[in-house]
Amino acid sequence: MGLLTIIKKVKAKEREIRLLMVGLDNAGKTTIVKRMNGEDISSISPTLGFNIKSMSFKGFTLNVWDVGGQKTLRSYWRNYYERTDGMIWVIDSADIRRLEDCRDELHKLLVEEKLAGASLLILANKQDISGALSPSEIEKVLQMEKFSSSRHWRILGCSAVTGDGLLDGFDWVVSDIASRIYLFD
Amino acid sequence: MGSGWEDITPDDVLALDGPTKGFLCPLSANTYGIDFVDFEIKDADSARSLFRVQKDPDAAPVPMLDNIDPAIEESIRTIKYCFPVEFLRYKTVRTSLVFQVGPNEVPNFRMIERHYHKDELIRSYDFTFGFCIPNSVNSWEAIYPVPELKEDQVQDMAAHPYETTSDSFYFVDNKLVMHNKAAYMYQD
Repeated sequence: MGLLTIIKKVKAKEREIRLLMVGLDNAGKTTIVKRMNGEDISSISPTLGFNIKSMSFKGFTLNVWDVGGQKTLRSYWRNYYERTDGMIWVIDSADIRRLEDCRDELHKLLVEEKLAGASLLILANKQDISGALSPSEIEKVLQMEKFSSSRHWRILGCSAVTGDGLLDGFDWVVSDIASRIYLFD
Repeated sequence: MGSGWEDITPDDVLALDGPTKGFLCPLSANTYGIDFVDFEIKDADSARSLFRVQKDPDAAPVPMLDNIDPAIEESIRTIKYCFPVEFLRYKTVRTSLVFQVGPNEVPNFRMIERHYHKDELIRSYDFTFGFCIPNSVNSWEAIYPVPELKEDQVQDMAAHPYETTSDSFYFVDNKLVMHNKAAYMYQD
């Protein structure tokens, strides 16, 4: 039995997945996690550190690390890369002014060695707001073609307020990770 | 409290098989200013709140003196909980903890909690938060599978208030920074 097989078996027993949720401030990261968990989303304040939340999802335990996106916090993101199975990059699709900022921060993340093997889900949030850019428009701004060959990634539109698109997104990232890490019976 | 508390490791407390006598570190060990502001227990399925305690924002800061009266120290560092007996029959429970940290980076923050009934270990939890950002407010919400208790054990716990206890140990970079105790009573 190879080492990789042993690692897979250990992980499969726990069936735990670690997701890192990052993006600029006010993108809606915490709201997405709360919405996924069926919690009240009427009053959510800026995250000034991290929110860790365990959720059951399709037989897996997701440990979601939602880390604050304010400029002063971004230099600390690297402390949360270790053991990350998947990243969820959240974008405020209506905040067109900061889209290039958003792209630059995402590109910094994608060259991090510790995140090299992690699946990437990009959630183009706030699709319910008029004037929001569509996922394909955002994809162009993000210039993802540079990374397409080396990473499993997908961009999807969503709205944390209506809940649209969230399940599709989590479905994709969890099954992508599961097919890489876990052995199916 | 003997000397050498600075040398206590996570492995040491994971090897404990009964409640400690007194506290393994002084209050002043908490040099990172770690402070708990909100603790809540929820029904794992419905997320309905079952119990919640929040820090009074106007409360005076805990004194960091090491030579305080042991009885006063015990009252500061021990929380007493009163829960419905039903709690003991839950198979899973969701807990949510909010804490803040001081102006320094907190590397590798870890919590180990040992639960006992009449000196017998019944549960042990071990969770690593990892790094905490200076001056951050952080939350941790977890779903615990609760080891099943036998009905006679449930009855015994209900019949002997505060004989179910726990020790919570907090480590930063494998150094003990906090030790608190809790005692539980269960009633219908």
